[in-house]
Amino acid sequence: MSALSTDTHSATTHSPAELREKKDRRRAISLLTPGLLWMFFFMVLPMAMVIYVSFWTQTTFSVNSTLTTASWKHFLSSATYLSAIWTTLRIWLIVLIATVVVGYPVALFIGLFVRNKTLQTALLVACVIPFWTSFLIRVIAWRPMLGTEGAINVILMKLGIISEPLTFLLFSEFSVLVGMTQIYCVFMVGPITFMLGRIDISVIEAARDLGASFGTIFRRIILPLSLPGVIVGAIFVSVMVLGEFATAASLSGRKVNLLGNIIVSQVGSLKWAFAAVAGVVLTIIITAVIALALRLVDLRKEM
Amino acid sequence: MESRILRPTLAIYTACFLLFLYGPMIVLAILSFQSIDGGPQFPIRDWSIYWYEHLLGLAETSRVSQLPVGESLIRSIVLAFMTTVVATVLGVMSAEAFRTKFKGSGPAFYLIILGMMVPGVLVGLGMALLSNTLDLGRAWWGTSFVLHVVYTYPFAFLVMLAIFNRFDRTVEEASLSLGVSPAQTFRRVTFPIIFPGVLSAMLFSFTLSYDEFARTLFTAGRDLTLPLAIYGTFSVEIYPNLFAFGVLTTLFSFTLLVIYGLLMKRFTSKASRYKGQEDA
Repeated sequence: MSALSTDTHSATTHSPAELREKKDRRRAISLLTPGLLWMFFFMVLPMAMVIYVSFWTQTTFSVNSTLTTASWKHFLSSATYLSAIWTTLRIWLIVLIATVVVGYPVALFIGLFVRNKTLQTALLVACVIPFWTSFLIRVIAWRPMLGTEGAINVILMKLGIISEPLTFLLFSEFSVLVGMTQIYCVFMVGPITFMLGRIDISVIEAARDLGASFGTIFRRIILPLSLPGVIVGAIFVSVMVLGEFATAASLSGRKVNLLGNIIVSQVGSLKWAFAAVAGVVLTIIITAVIALALRLVDLRKEM
Repeated sequence: MESRILRPTLAIYTACFLLFLYGPMIVLAILSFQSIDGGPQFPIRDWSIYWYEHLLGLAETSRVSQLPVGESLIRSIVLAFMTTVVATVLGVMSAEAFRTKFKGSGPAFYLIILGMMVPGVLVGLGMALLSNTLDLGRAWWGTSFVLHVVYTYPFAFLVMLAIFNRFDRTVEEASLSLGVSPAQTFRRVTFPIIFPGVLSAMLFSFTLSYDEFARTLFTAGRDLTLPLAIYGTFSVEIYPNLFAFGVLTTLFSFTLLVIYGLLMKRFTSKASRYKGQEDA
């Protein structure tokens, strides 16, 4: 089809193909306009507002629109805020690695080892079903699981493995990491399974017939072909973990403060300018992460 | 030969993974049947449905205040419904636009996708700042609603895009060339083909909006939606009534899922019947 349109292009300026293209374009634009306008007014404009307000003057109880870099200086010289950036990056990296490590073998099993379509779908559905429970309920469900009188401690004590309940399980960085890994793991499993499912099985069989061990097949065929899935999953997980605050707020006992938590607490005390600065910093981090990931894979091509 | 070891190992691993996914919810469900004097942890003193009665306002005396679910539940459902309608319409329109290649489709695509990428806490903050500056009140049916659409519209769009990618355009063209009006063609030809996609887009939009929390936190104003009401109870001590609520809301979502499944099944069986006639 593309060959056809390039042929007619050079002929005359108002060829039927060109007229049709023009008409198609007009139709596409009129269909798209409402959606794009919605995105502009309710997403782009609010984000621009965050950047703008980060340069406003913050007084004790209010902000005014006199431009200043005071909030930025305050933010960048405060140990609390800087450590929040560090905590956010650390938690993000650990959760990202944890979701790949935990999720990849599951995806490998569902996508490659289960060849029965019905069973494959059933397993994927089983992974997705927890999403039909409220996010906040899934977060809070870790409390009776990890608490000092929670399920894990009770079971371990019954088995005689420990005599005292483990206290580091809940209200610590550990509980935040476990909670986030459980909640976001599926976003890693899904894309990887999808990519693995597309691998032509005869390629693997050919490699095996030629005497390649599973290790070699995995390294040379399976891993490279599944990598776009890992990247797409990493984008999903990164974006969600970096913008998190609810899991840290309800499972860490205020020990873990992410940038998201800083924003929430600043808004709570009406420090809008400080919240905006934290927001801009978070935006920069997320943009950098997505830009890096998109360099590695073309999102539109993989869908 | 290695797969003889590898396959069972991976199968066991996957089973453990599912346990990891479901474990907390199972424990939560068990603890929701805690007795009146029991706390939100083990041991179970006595099995009872006291906390369910408490949640529904049927328990007479209580040291624990009732969860503020009633009105917030209605608000959340109305909000999710509004979001579903707008997001699905926008999603169908945009996906339809993307069926023809046009200049600037790349940036437009990414602008839409950005809606599901931007963290809720950021757009929420931006919207709150914007409404403060413009002196507009914040409300769940206004500022929260537009953000919910920003979030769910990309999902609806992607679902519809996937449907349109598999959809043979010549069917539509045949209808048009036979003199059927574009409106009629859409109703009689296009819509039946894309309906399963529309249903999925609606399911996505509804569940995402119903459960959305970060985007609502700064923008809902005084009246709380359900997730906000739940979040409010986190800061104080939690009681098993929250667990009972978790069980009930999960059952509600499953009902929704079953309705979706039934509609889908009914529709696809009808479609395959038509296909069978064609073959015969």
